[in-house]
Amino acid sequence: MKIVGVAACTSGIAHTYIAKEKLLSAAKELGHEIQVETQGTIGTEDALTEKNIKEADIVIIAADIKISGKERFHGKKIVEVPTHVVIKSPKALINKIQADLGL
Amino acid sequence: MLKKLQLKKHALTGISFMLPLVVAAGLLIAIGNLLGGNPSLITDYKASYTIWQAAVTLGVFGMQLLPGVIGAAIAYSIADRPGIAPGLLMGMIANAMGAGFLGGMLGGYLAGYFVAFLKKRLKVPKWAQGLMPMMIIPLISSIVIGLIMFFVIGKPIASASRALETLLVNMRGGSKVVFGLIMGAMAAFDFGGPVNKVASLFADGLLVNGIYGPEAIKVCASMIPPFGVALSWLIKRSRYNKSESDNIKIAFPMGICMITEGVIPLAAVDPLRVIFSCSTGAAVGGALIMLQNVGSPVPSGGMFIVPAMVNPLGFLISLGVGSVITALLLVALKKDARPDDVVLEEEEEEDIDLSNVKIN
Repeated sequence: MKIVGVAACTSGIAHTYIAKEKLLSAAKELGHEIQVETQGTIGTEDALTEKNIKEADIVIIAADIKISGKERFHGKKIVEVPTHVVIKSPKALINKIQADLGL
Repeated sequence: MLKKLQLKKHALTGISFMLPLVVAAGLLIAIGNLLGGNPSLITDYKASYTIWQAAVTLGVFGMQLLPGVIGAAIAYSIADRPGIAPGLLMGMIANAMGAGFLGGMLGGYLAGYFVAFLKKRLKVPKWAQGLMPMMIIPLISSIVIGLIMFFVIGKPIASASRALETLLVNMRGGSKVVFGLIMGAMAAFDFGGPVNKVASLFADGLLVNGIYGPEAIKVCASMIPPFGVALSWLIKRSRYNKSESDNIKIAFPMGICMITEGVIPLAAVDPLRVIFSCSTGAAVGGALIMLQNVGSPVPSGGMFIVPAMVNPLGFLISLGVGSVITALLLVALKKDARPDDVVLEEEEEEDIDLSNVKIN
């Protein structure tokens, strides 16, 4: 699968980046392509490109707060979870998505 | 229904927007008071004033903006951009009426849901569509929710806030200890997660109203887990395997900056013992803070803001005692790490129920 993700947490300094790392390593291990954008208190980093989004099979939004730029994903398949879900079980989440999408 | 309203997400968005402001404002007040010897606020801008008066005044401006900012951010979270203007105004009303932080939050929710409702339900002819976001929605929502704030909910919230303040200020002995224990345990319980955020929200709200004790508990309880874990590692290294030791070396410096999250990897491996030890240490730390009347005018910043606190020495004592208790509990409760854990680089995933996760 090709995955794009957005991570954002309340204080925007810790969970955001832990969530990103967890998603990256889980996806890599399971053999998926992934790009993750962080929306921390410092602002958006590693912003997703239009190409990333266009090619993605699924958008994973791991956020405890409202994220900006959600309209970019219009028409895409989106999964929204709190950050603790991807921090605690990123692989199970990705596997579930894969099963649900039948990819 | 409740789930659909996503109350928590909106509150967390509000807090995330508010945090940088409250830290800046709190530090300005603390630095100005500390270095300028509690200078008075600037009242007459034609007369001369000192740099410390300017710092404290600016900090107070920041604090007065808080209800507005959290109201605007909550309304924005609910209704997107059109929520901002009415949300700000509701916060201003809350601030003026003495309904503070809580009033700002409630105003933000009301404004947000009302704007979202207008966006969805209010139909105007095509020629007027440009007026919707620019005039119709901001005006109608500000009037309707504003009147509700002024005449219906503002006063009860203001008196509730005052009652809570009086209660906290007049607490003595036993009730102080109980309050400190609960606040401390909550703040440390989930290492920056939702329970911590509830305690945090409560402390931030009181800070805006000039009560500094709970905020000091929050700072202390956020630092006790990383400090306690690091101390237990120093006392008995055999309790931790290689990867845990590496995590502790990262968690400690994060702890100095009041970031508790570094302890999460350790708690994930051994949740019951780690959470119990950390919460107990933090609860004791919290009680000591209350007993010694420690206060923090700044909501975050760790060791760097200790000099700005009321009774910094008391804070260090609370922090030290809490950390030692956490460390001793960890040493006593944890078993030695199995050597084969060292090779086990693979982190185990927690089983959580993903059946609610829907693809849209």
